[in-house]
Amino acid sequence: MKALILVGGFGTRLRPLTLSFPKPLVDFANKPMILHQIEALKAVGVDEVVLAINYQPEVMLNFLKDFEAKLEIKITCSQETEPMGTAGPLALARDKLVDGSGEPFFVLNSDVISEYPLREMIEFHKGHGGEASIMVTKVDEPSKYGVVVMDEATGKVEKFVEKPKLFVGNKINAGIYLLNPSVLDKIELRPTSIEKETFPKIAAAQGLYAMVLPGFWMDIGQPRDYITGLRLYLDSLRKKSPAKLTTGAHIVGNVLVDETAKIGEGCLIGPDVAIGPGCVVESGVRLSRCTVMRGVRIKKHACVSSSIIGWHSTVGQWARIENMTILGEDVHVGDEIYTNGGVVLPHKEIKSNILKPEIVM
Amino acid sequence: MGSSTEEKVVAVILVGGPTKGTRFRPLSLNIPKPLFPIAGQPMVHHPISACKRIPNLAQVYLVGFYEEREFALYVSAISNELKVPVRYLKEDKPHGSAGGLYHFRNLIMEDNPSHIFLLNCDVCCSFPLPEMLESHRKHGGIGTLLVIKVSPESANQFGELVADPVTNELLHYTEKPETFVSDRINCGVYVFTPEIFTAIRDVSTQRNDTVTLRRVSSYEALQPATRIPADFVRLDQDILSPLAGKKQLYTYETMDFWEQIKSPGMSLRCSELYLSQFRLTSPQVLASGDGTKSAIVIGDVYIHPSAKVHPTAKIGPNVSISANARVGPGVRLISCIILDDVEIMENAVVTNAIVGWKSSIGRWSRVQAEGVYNAKLGVTILGESVAVEDEVVVTSSIVLPNKTLNVSVQDEIIL
Repeated sequence: MKALILVGGFGTRLRPLTLSFPKPLVDFANKPMILHQIEALKAVGVDEVVLAINYQPEVMLNFLKDFEAKLEIKITCSQETEPMGTAGPLALARDKLVDGSGEPFFVLNSDVISEYPLREMIEFHKGHGGEASIMVTKVDEPSKYGVVVMDEATGKVEKFVEKPKLFVGNKINAGIYLLNPSVLDKIELRPTSIEKETFPKIAAAQGLYAMVLPGFWMDIGQPRDYITGLRLYLDSLRKKSPAKLTTGAHIVGNVLVDETAKIGEGCLIGPDVAIGPGCVVESGVRLSRCTVMRGVRIKKHACVSSSIIGWHSTVGQWARIENMTILGEDVHVGDEIYTNGGVVLPHKEIKSNILKPEIVM
Repeated sequence: MGSSTEEKVVAVILVGGPTKGTRFRPLSLNIPKPLFPIAGQPMVHHPISACKRIPNLAQVYLVGFYEEREFALYVSAISNELKVPVRYLKEDKPHGSAGGLYHFRNLIMEDNPSHIFLLNCDVCCSFPLPEMLESHRKHGGIGTLLVIKVSPESANQFGELVADPVTNELLHYTEKPETFVSDRINCGVYVFTPEIFTAIRDVSTQRNDTVTLRRVSSYEALQPATRIPADFVRLDQDILSPLAGKKQLYTYETMDFWEQIKSPGMSLRCSELYLSQFRLTSPQVLASGDGTKSAIVIGDVYIHPSAKVHPTAKIGPNVSISANARVGPGVRLISCIILDDVEIMENAVVTNAIVGWKSSIGRWSRVQAEGVYNAKLGVTILGESVAVEDEVVVTSSIVLPNKTLNVSVQDEIIL
């Protein structure tokens, strides 16, 4: 089976992290974002993944060689020379997705994190016999998104309504599709929107069915949602493979610690914390609701909450980092410094307090 | 004996490196700061052109921490253009401002130069290098510093010095003092004789031998001793300060302009200074027009030959327009730098701003700022490929590359 992951562009909403790496390679729960999706695809028998990108292909390709070897799955890139929207990239990658077997192919949105019930989706798709299946997820505030209006019993999709003013339903497009090759015949090779052009066509022909995504769903394309997404992900990990989480007297709630990370004495870690490879957390440190990326050192007595600490950064002794502080790569926060929502670009030293949310270039 | 025609001169220009000057962001996210255009030419071009006026210039070295490939194209182009060999040397690790010079002493001395100029790339001034050399020859000594008088309030941002008004000898030098020492400051342009290398080497060996007898605060005394490596030699603290008052160093005062280009806003100010200098030294470089065949030009304006400016536009004062930019009908540009491939559509206004490569400015939109060059948001900066949609106003803001603005913004940094 084949799959296409829509990686798209510059990842500007995840800056400053995406100033150091293209978005799919930014780590989430100690793994590059895109690896979560590739692993889920591999698990249901996908043998080739095509990444639709339009930014920094050279950087991506280097990493992909590594993943290809480790996962034994073929990974290729389909490069957009101009932004092709959400459907155009499928047409662009046509030759790679259609192998003559008639099998449907997956399309995933790279910003999305979820439990990826892909096997169930394959069953669902076979069951209804329609041309296309999409995952939908229930949200509290549907008007922020595009709502999928569907028959609750059969899942057949009636129509899409973009940011509806009145309540028409509470299911939104979760960005996971399973499509028959015939769908590609309906997509022209130009910038196109799959929700505005392709899916409505298929829905009108009674061929589009929606499956409600069991478990969590999050678009982690921006820092606030990234932090919430980690909580949901770790929650799900607790239910599915609790052995992967760390336990101990110094651990509270769901915490993921890479085996190469070191944690000192007298720390209190958690809930909802991910600590990446090679990190050093010195003694007396408090971490909650935060991501600590590869190679970070958190010095003694520091306190970090609701923040993201970028690769190879350091947090000084007694420093307090909180309220959506995002440190880019190689940022060094001095001893005793307080930052409240500071967003710091790579290769900086923070020697004075950041009292209110501010961008430090 | 007067200067023989065989006496060669080598110039060394310190260009810095990528993780050092974060003050020049967001422009430095796309291009090394030394290559950023000021008055239509890369920043480093201005000191290099000034070096060309030195008699018997044998070689120009650019020394920095950038990767060689970032400067490869530029050095070969400029070597051809100026008919002087220009070479980029990458420092493998920080050696300090004097240590870097020392590290490459063998290369520098290859041509057996009688004098070596040391310049900082981000200094904007008239570079009176031949005059400095002549003045230095009269004094003898190891070196001559370019100095300028500034306002007493601003002096403590720099190296303050005291010079003998008659002999011009450097009597006293101190870097960024807390109390007022002098209103004469170090411009960051020097000429040395090869004896400078001996002086730098002596500092290294001395550091190995003696203990630093400097008064430390009780807090510092409690810190684990951070030993500066022996080959890390700073020009200001380790050479200029100790040698002051020993009849080794002299000063040459400039009465012209002097600025440092540390922030993007300052590049706009320095563009203005260099453009007004072109008015005096090479006015043919500047643009002119009266609205008939070409756009109305007010004051000092540079327009690259490949740029297209509509005749109904009004440009200036203090505007630089780079290659392949397109300025549409009825556009007004005041005090701005328009980089390569920018498209500015009808009736838009840009003032006190820097518009990044390939950006597009929509019809009737307005990109503006107060024009306070040193303030964080004093000049609006649009990074590479920023799109400002029709009728949108961008005020006192910084926008990182690849963003589209479809609503007006003010006093914001947009990542």
